[in-house]
Amino acid sequence: MGVENFTNWLRDAASTLHENAAYLTELDSAIGDADHGSNMDRGFAAVVAVLDEVSFESVDELMKKAGMTLVSKVGGASGPLYGTFFLRFGTALAGAEITPATVGEALKAGVGGILARGKAELGDKTMYDAWAPALDAYDDAVAGGADLGGALAAAAEAAAKGRDATTPLVARKGRASYLGERSAGHQDPGATSTTLLLESAARTLA
Amino acid sequence: MIGIVVVSHSRALAEAVVGLASEMVAEGDRPVIAVAAGLDETTFGTDAAAVAEAIAVADSPDGVLVLLDLGSAVLSAEMALEFVDPEVAERVKLSSAPLVEGLVAAVVTASTGATLDAVLAEASRGLAGKQDHLGDAVSETSPTDDASDHVIEVAVSNEHGLHARPAAKVVGLAQKFEARVTLTNLTTGKGPVDAGSLSMVATLNVQQGHRLRVGASGPDAHEALAALGALADRGFDDVPVATTPAAVGKSGSGLDVAIGPAIVADQEIDLSGYQADDADVERQRSKDARRTAEVQLIALRDQTAATVGTAEAAIFDAQLALLDDAVLLDAVLHADKSAPDAWKSAMDELASTFEGLDDPYQRERAQDVRSVRDRVLRALVGAVEASPADGGLLVVRELDAATAASVDAERIVGVAVRAAGTTGHGVIVARSRGIPVFTGIGDVAVPSGALVAFDARAHEFVVDPADGGKRFRTALRERAVEREVALAEAEQPAVTVDGQTIAVLANVGSVQDALDARGADGSGLVRTEVLFGDRRVAPTVDEQVEAFRAIAAALDGKPITIRTWDVGGDKPLAFLPQGREANPFLGERGIRVFRRQPELLRDQLRAICQVAAETPVQVMFPMVTTAEEVAWAREELAAIGAPEGLKVGIMVEVPAAALRIATLADGLDFVSIGTNDLTQYTTASDRGNSAVAGLADGLDPAVLQLIDRVVRGVPAGVEVAVCGDLASDPDAAVLLAGLGVHELSAVGPQVPTIKARLRKTNLANATKLAAKALQLDSAAAVRALTG
Repeated sequence: MGVENFTNWLRDAASTLHENAAYLTELDSAIGDADHGSNMDRGFAAVVAVLDEVSFESVDELMKKAGMTLVSKVGGASGPLYGTFFLRFGTALAGAEITPATVGEALKAGVGGILARGKAELGDKTMYDAWAPALDAYDDAVAGGADLGGALAAAAEAAAKGRDATTPLVARKGRASYLGERSAGHQDPGATSTTLLLESAARTLA
Repeated sequence: MIGIVVVSHSRALAEAVVGLASEMVAEGDRPVIAVAAGLDETTFGTDAAAVAEAIAVADSPDGVLVLLDLGSAVLSAEMALEFVDPEVAERVKLSSAPLVEGLVAAVVTASTGATLDAVLAEASRGLAGKQDHLGDAVSETSPTDDASDHVIEVAVSNEHGLHARPAAKVVGLAQKFEARVTLTNLTTGKGPVDAGSLSMVATLNVQQGHRLRVGASGPDAHEALAALGALADRGFDDVPVATTPAAVGKSGSGLDVAIGPAIVADQEIDLSGYQADDADVERQRSKDARRTAEVQLIALRDQTAATVGTAEAAIFDAQLALLDDAVLLDAVLHADKSAPDAWKSAMDELASTFEGLDDPYQRERAQDVRSVRDRVLRALVGAVEASPADGGLLVVRELDAATAASVDAERIVGVAVRAAGTTGHGVIVARSRGIPVFTGIGDVAVPSGALVAFDARAHEFVVDPADGGKRFRTALRERAVEREVALAEAEQPAVTVDGQTIAVLANVGSVQDALDARGADGSGLVRTEVLFGDRRVAPTVDEQVEAFRAIAAALDGKPITIRTWDVGGDKPLAFLPQGREANPFLGERGIRVFRRQPELLRDQLRAICQVAAETPVQVMFPMVTTAEEVAWAREELAAIGAPEGLKVGIMVEVPAAALRIATLADGLDFVSIGTNDLTQYTTASDRGNSAVAGLADGLDPAVLQLIDRVVRGVPAGVEVAVCGDLASDPDAAVLLAGLGVHELSAVGPQVPTIKARLRKTNLANATKLAAKALQLDSAAAVRALTG
């Protein structure tokens, strides 16, 4: 488990997000500014372009570069949010062996970065509503002896549930919050892209 | 100077807002403004790395202020702070101010060299003006917690709120007690601030009608609150300046003409020769200069109290309070600068704070600050106040109170002021001393010693006038004689040589105007929107009754014509906000405003009806165009119950009204022609636009023809008056009498002159003159005929 696996994750995530770009944008057009899909697609396409040019020695370098690229290329709020996630995720893995436990810590650090940046709380109808149950499920799976792939699969499953649970919520953060009550009844695009990322991770880091 | 970064989703938006804000400040004074906006020219988005780069570009030792639009702009900017050098990040502040308003405020404030915190605070207040104007969110802002042990609430009742003088009284009182005293403006939510600091109190922008919370902690807290509560109850001892009739010729000539060699005193104090020493020496020099200024101001205050009046002398108390301002002094004594630089930047910052206030009266207080600044700077560099040995005409950038009170009226024949504005302390003081003043000469070049002259009546300021200013010297002699004779006979009626009496009344916008109008046969125009023009909240019926009563009393119970609110056009009223109109002079003005919202008008009519039961009163509706409007106004009046004898009239300003006066004036008691508006509407020329102002001449025969039509067209028994500027011009007054106008209402000080002129007039001749004027083809030709 090393640079190659994580490179695969990023490439797979990029293609998944590309395939789902129209879907994400459609979700965002209901309650936001109709750019989440195109923003994520642009950001991850830029990450892939970097992967094509540069070879990385370590997972933490790779992840940090991906984070910086997302920060500069995504454009919307998900730029600094996912950017921060990957920066902190990478930093947490610096010098560490890749194990279910260290990746778990890295995921926590990354999500901590999202929280620090976005100041969201559970139930605000944000990506955190997918991340939070995912982290819990990951920890439970690791405690139950699951390997990295198994733990990530559990996390992705929990994220999907969290994503679905955002539909009835009223947005309290981001552009959607301007809609108030009218934001209820729509699935949150950020929680959706988070689920896609985790599903991609479960596929590629097994 | 601090640097500024603009973060936006859109590059076009960022560039436009930077353009908008940059316009506010001359290029050389602008702070560096770096933009991080959009992913490229057309893609919306924000990029933390680009923000970090922009911060690096704008970085200055004084700090960087970042203004942002929304959403990811905030996240990207926060993230950028993690990318930049921690030492740089320390001096970067992200502002939650609205981007447009905040940036405009920030650029203006930063250009004065203000600190990062001061710019941040100003930017944060960026919305206040708009909120205040639109009347939203004014009271819902909750003042930040006041940790004081004891608090009281007081109301602000005095006319101009806590402007410099009453604020100085608060500060002076607060400093007397062993207590930490704070003030919070509950109406605007600003504060709490240290009540011992004049500059901080000024930032509360306290207006009449606002409520203040006074907090106090410490051993004397109760005593401090009791004393401040009592001061508030006394209206902060804010005695309006010049409430007694200005004695003409108290020391100056009292005329409106002056001529003499220019004494140019508008230079900045030269600090270039100043040798700065180490910090301790600079601090001591600052203290010494402050002491010198204090001694001078005390002497000036006492001298002014003895020779001009105590109300005027109080201006110097306000200036003295500035010298005692703890916050200001702290900034000066702890600045890492030479003493003059420290004083200059601290005082300039304070002056710009005043200039940022809403109330024009308060804004002008900035000149008190600059006056004190220059006094201290002179003390520091050992410069002597310009005090010419020979007499002349003083040319100043601003007329501050100290200069106005201390110029030697024996030698200074008049003062020409570059700045416009006639409510400055200095102008008030000069007027009450009878020193001729002419404001608003602008940036015209005036070489020191050159012969200069002005004639305020003709709105003329001339450098190096022809024939050694013979024209002005003649005018001066004539006016002096004229004034003497006119004043002596002012109380007599204006009866023409052939025995016709023309009523000459005064236009008034204040009780003072009424007092100043010597010999007026009443008031032909009470400008209610001026009378209450600086009010934030609409005056009550009782307050209006009181004011109208005072004006009638000042005119010895002679008839007064009260014009209902003439708002709109160039006359906004703070308590009657109007929407922005593309063409306000052709929009909702005068009576038009009240068709949709009649309440304010009804209150005013109630007050007028009440006063009309006590003293002769006429009511006049402005900006009438149709008979339907007249009928509506009369219905409103009838609904309130007009007393017997209340005369009703309209203004004639709209050409349509003049053309159909016969139907419009049916059943009215009088009409009064507003020549200023009638002229601009007839000639389609804005008097304020110098490119076409020449076309807007009240003597244009087209305007005279409309006046003639009104005089001939009104139903029998309807009096015709003129209350526009034309009635204040003696030559035009003769012409108007010749056209058959029964009554002229002029600016107060002109009343004796107009009366004197009419007494020398043969009305039969004037009628012939007027008939000729109607046939001429230009205003110039009319002027040649009458002059």
